[in-house]
Amino acid sequence: MISYILYSLKNMDKVLLFSIFSLFSICFISVYAAVHEGNMYIWQKQNIYWIIGIIILIIVSLIPIRKIAFATWGIYLIALILLLLVPLIGDTNMGAKRWINLGIVNIQPSEVMKWGMMLALAYYYASREANNIKNVFISFIFAAIPAGLIVQQPDLGTALVLLFTGAFIILAAGFPWRWLFALTLSSPVFLYILWNNMKDYQKGRVMMFLDPQQDPLDKGYHVIQSSIAIGSGGLFGKGFLEGTQSRLHFLPEQHTDFIFAVIAEQGGLLAGVVLLCLYTLLIGRIIYISSIASSRFASLICIGVAAIFTLYVFINIGMVSGILPVVGVPLPFISYGGTSLITVLAASGLVMRVYIESKNKIPWQRPGNPLS
Amino acid sequence: MISNNRHIRQQFDTRTHILMLFLLLLMMTLFARLLYLQWYQHENLLLQSNNNRINVVPVLPTRGLILDRDGIPLASNKISYRIHLIPEHCEDIHALLVDLQNKLLWSDKKLNYIERQVKRSRRDRPMLIDDQLTWMQVAPIAARIHHYPGLDLLSSTHRYYPYKELTSHLIGYLSLARDNDLKNGYRHTEYVGRTGLERELENELHGITGSQQEEVNARGQRVSILHTVPASIGDNINTTIDIGLQQTIWDQLGDETGAVVVMDVHSGEVIALVSKPGFNSNLFITGLGQEQWDDWRFNPQKPLMNRAIQATYPPASTLKVITSLAGLKHHSPLIHQSTYCNGFIELNDRKLRCWNKRGHGQVNLEQSLSQSCDVFYYKLGEELGMPALVDEMKNWGLGTFTHIGLTPESDGNIPTPLQILSNGRTRPWYQGNIMITAIGQGSTTVTPLQIARFAAAIANGGDILKPQLILHQQSEILWHADVQPEHLREVQHAMRSVVTQRHGTAHRVLEGAKWDIAGKTGTAQVVAMERDKSKQDTVVERHLKDHAWFMGYAPFDHPQIAFAILVEHGEHGSSSAAPIAKTIVDYLADKESAQ
Repeated sequence: MISYILYSLKNMDKVLLFSIFSLFSICFISVYAAVHEGNMYIWQKQNIYWIIGIIILIIVSLIPIRKIAFATWGIYLIALILLLLVPLIGDTNMGAKRWINLGIVNIQPSEVMKWGMMLALAYYYASREANNIKNVFISFIFAAIPAGLIVQQPDLGTALVLLFTGAFIILAAGFPWRWLFALTLSSPVFLYILWNNMKDYQKGRVMMFLDPQQDPLDKGYHVIQSSIAIGSGGLFGKGFLEGTQSRLHFLPEQHTDFIFAVIAEQGGLLAGVVLLCLYTLLIGRIIYISSIASSRFASLICIGVAAIFTLYVFINIGMVSGILPVVGVPLPFISYGGTSLITVLAASGLVMRVYIESKNKIPWQRPGNPLS
Repeated sequence: MISNNRHIRQQFDTRTHILMLFLLLLMMTLFARLLYLQWYQHENLLLQSNNNRINVVPVLPTRGLILDRDGIPLASNKISYRIHLIPEHCEDIHALLVDLQNKLLWSDKKLNYIERQVKRSRRDRPMLIDDQLTWMQVAPIAARIHHYPGLDLLSSTHRYYPYKELTSHLIGYLSLARDNDLKNGYRHTEYVGRTGLERELENELHGITGSQQEEVNARGQRVSILHTVPASIGDNINTTIDIGLQQTIWDQLGDETGAVVVMDVHSGEVIALVSKPGFNSNLFITGLGQEQWDDWRFNPQKPLMNRAIQATYPPASTLKVITSLAGLKHHSPLIHQSTYCNGFIELNDRKLRCWNKRGHGQVNLEQSLSQSCDVFYYKLGEELGMPALVDEMKNWGLGTFTHIGLTPESDGNIPTPLQILSNGRTRPWYQGNIMITAIGQGSTTVTPLQIARFAAAIANGGDILKPQLILHQQSEILWHADVQPEHLREVQHAMRSVVTQRHGTAHRVLEGAKWDIAGKTGTAQVVAMERDKSKQDTVVERHLKDHAWFMGYAPFDHPQIAFAILVEHGEHGSSSAAPIAKTIVDYLADKESAQ
C-alpha cells in the first residue's frame, strides 16, 4: 500500500504540479490584494481551501481510473439528484437558487454536475464513437438534462460551460466534421430558441454586453469598471496594492468573478500574460496527457477537464475584459470560492492519475476492453 | 463498438492537435484583448480611472463681514450644522427621518418633503437633509452618530443679520444661487447677494472659492484628501453707518413709517439710512415661506421698499429753501422787501391758502422761511416763473440720481420749464401751477436722500456730494452748486431762525438740542383736501394724512451733519419729524463729547 502511494507520488507530473503551484502563488497574492482592506478572513479561508484542495488532489491521484469508471454513473446520479433537490431545498441568493446547505458546507450541485457529466460522457464514449446519431443523441441527453435544470436556477454561465464541455468530449470522441459544419450553419435557429427561453436579467446581461455604455450605472457598470481597471493598469500595472479601482471598490465582486481585473490593474499586461501562459501550459499539458493516456476513458477525462478549464478561463477573462457577457463564471484556481477551487483541484488530481497510469506502459487500447 | 484501434488513435491525436490549436487561439484572443485595453487604450482608461476616484469639490470661502463705522457687525456669519444622509447605508429611512423629526422639530410637511427628496436622489450619494442647525439642535444626534448609519454632520456657516429689520434695506439679503448665477461660476450651495450692499459689494464680500481634490470610493465617500487649494475669505467692509444712531432713529420712529438719512456734510458719508418698516432679512437665509413673501409683497406698508432712496414724496415746504435761493439769485424784488400775509392769495377767483388761516402778517424772507409762510412763496414763485424754479431745483440736485450705490434708486420728478401738452407742443405753465410748485407741492417729487444731499450742500457752501456708504473712501464732489456765498449765508440764517425765532416752526422742539440746528419743516399733502374740512374732521384716516418733513444740518456754526427726515402721514414736520432731528443731533453730540 505504502509503496503504491510512494510510487504514485513519485510519478506525478512535474509540469502539472509546477503550473498548479504557480497559479496558487498568483491566487495567494491576488486574493490578498482584493480583500486586504477588511475582509482578510476571505484570504485566510481561501488558503485553507487550497490546503484541502491539494490533499484532495493527492487522494484523487491515488484512485485508479478503473475504480473511477465504476463510480461514474453513481457520481452522475448523485449530482442529478442534488440538482433536482435545489428547487425544493436550495438557498436563494441574489434571485438565484444555486446552493444546498448541508449543515457544515454549502455545496453547489451544478458545480458537482459539471464533473459528473464530464465523467459520464467520457465513460459513455470510452467504448463508442460519436459517429452515429443514436450515440450522439444519447450523450446529448446526458448533458441536456442537467443543463436544462441549471438554466432554471438560473445560472446561464454554468449551463453553457456544461454544454460546451459535452460538445468538446463528443468532438474528441469522433463527431464527424461535416455534422459540426451543418450544426454551425443551423445555430441561428438554436440561438433564437435559447433567447426566447432566457430570463429578463439574462437577456439584459447579453444586451448590456453588446453595448455596455447604454446603462452605465446598472448592468453595464461591472464591465465598464473592470475594463477601466484592466486598461488603467497599462503594461506593468499600478503596483501591488496600488490599484485604485479595486482599493476604492469600483470593481464589483473583485475577489470572486472579477479578480482578473485586480491582477491586470496591479500587475498590468505583464501579469495578465504570465497568467495566460500558465493556463496555456496547464491546459496544454492536460491535452498532452490525454494523448499518452493508457485508456480511451482516461483520454476523454483529460479532454473534458481541459475543456472545462479552457471555457472557465476564456469566459471569465472574456467577460472581465468586456468581450463576453457577464455570466458569473469563476477564474479557475484564482477566484475565491471553496467549491470551485476544490473541484478544480480534484479534476487536476484525475488528470494526475491519468499521467501516473500512463507510466505503466499499459497499451493505450486493448481490443474489447476499452476501460482497463 | 470500437473496431479499428489504429484508426481511432490517429483520429484522436488529430483532434487533440486541433483542440490544442483551439486553446491557443482562445488564449491569443484574450491576449489581443488585453493588449488593446492595456496598451492601445491605456491612457484613455487611466484617465477614466482617475476621474472615477478623484472628486474635485469646491471649498466655499467665508463671506466677508459688513461692519458699521465703529466695527460693529451688521452682517455676520454664524457657525451652523448641516445633516447629510447616504440613503443606501441606512436600513429604515422612514424610521430615521421620524426620529430626526422628533429631535429637530420638523413639521410634517417638511418631513414629507424630505422623504420625497430622499426617494428621488441617488442612493449611494450623500444628500442634504437639513441645514442651519444650531449645536444645541444637533448635539443629541452628534452624541449618538454611530447609531445613525449613513448620517453625517458637517459644520458650515450661514449669514446672519443681527439687526434684522433695522438694516434690511441697506444691507439687503442673500439667496441660493440660481441658474444664471451658475453660469457665472457659482455653485449650487452658494449664496449670492440679491439686494442692498450684499448685492453691490458681492465681488468684495464673496472671497475666492478654493478647491479640494478628494479620493472617493465607489460609494462617493471621501477616502483621502489629495490636494487642497484653500479658499480666501471675502473682504470685510466697513460701512459709514453708525448703527447706534440708526437704532436710535428707528426706536424714535416708533410705530410710524418713514425714512431718515443722516449725512456727513464734508465727506458725503451716510451715517444713518433708515427706512421703516423693514423686513427680517434673516428669513431669506433660513428659508422664506411663500406666505411670508406674499405678506411682504402685498403689505400696503411696503416693507420691502427702501423709502430713503426708492420712495418719492413731494418736497413740500422744504422746497421753499430752493425758492428762496432762486429769488436771491434772480434778485427778485420781493426778496428785499416784505409782504403782507392775510392767510390766502387770490388767483382768478380762486383762493390759494396759507397754512396759517389767520395769516402771518407782514413777513420778510427770513420770517417767511422760519414761519413757512405760503403766501410769500406764492408771490415769489409768481415773480420767478417756472424755468427759474426748475433750474434751481436742478442746481441743488433734486430730481437726479445721487448714485449712492444701491439699486434701484429713484430720481424723483421735477417739472419741465414749459408745460408739455398731450399733443407734444409746449406752453408756459399756468400761474397756479407755478405758485404751488414754489411751495413744494404739485408734480415735484424727491427722495429723502436727495433732500439730505441738498441740506448738506447748504451747509458746506454748495458742494453737491456723492453719498458714500463705504468708510474711508475718497469723498467725491459731483458738482458745485451755482450760488453766491452771501445768498447762501442769508438762507442759512433763515433756516437757523426756524429754530431760534419764537414763531419758527421748529422752535419749541429743537431749541434745547445739544448742537445748534438749522433746518426747514415741511408738510406734504397726500390728498388735496379742503383745509377747513380737514380741520373739522377730528379723525382723518391715517393713509390720507400729510407726510411730515424735516431737513437741516448741525451744528450751525461749523456744520458736520445734514439730515432729511420723512415721517409718512406724520401730518406736521414740526410735530413728528423735527423731534427726530433733535434725537440725531443729541446722539452725535453725546458721541463726540464722549470721545
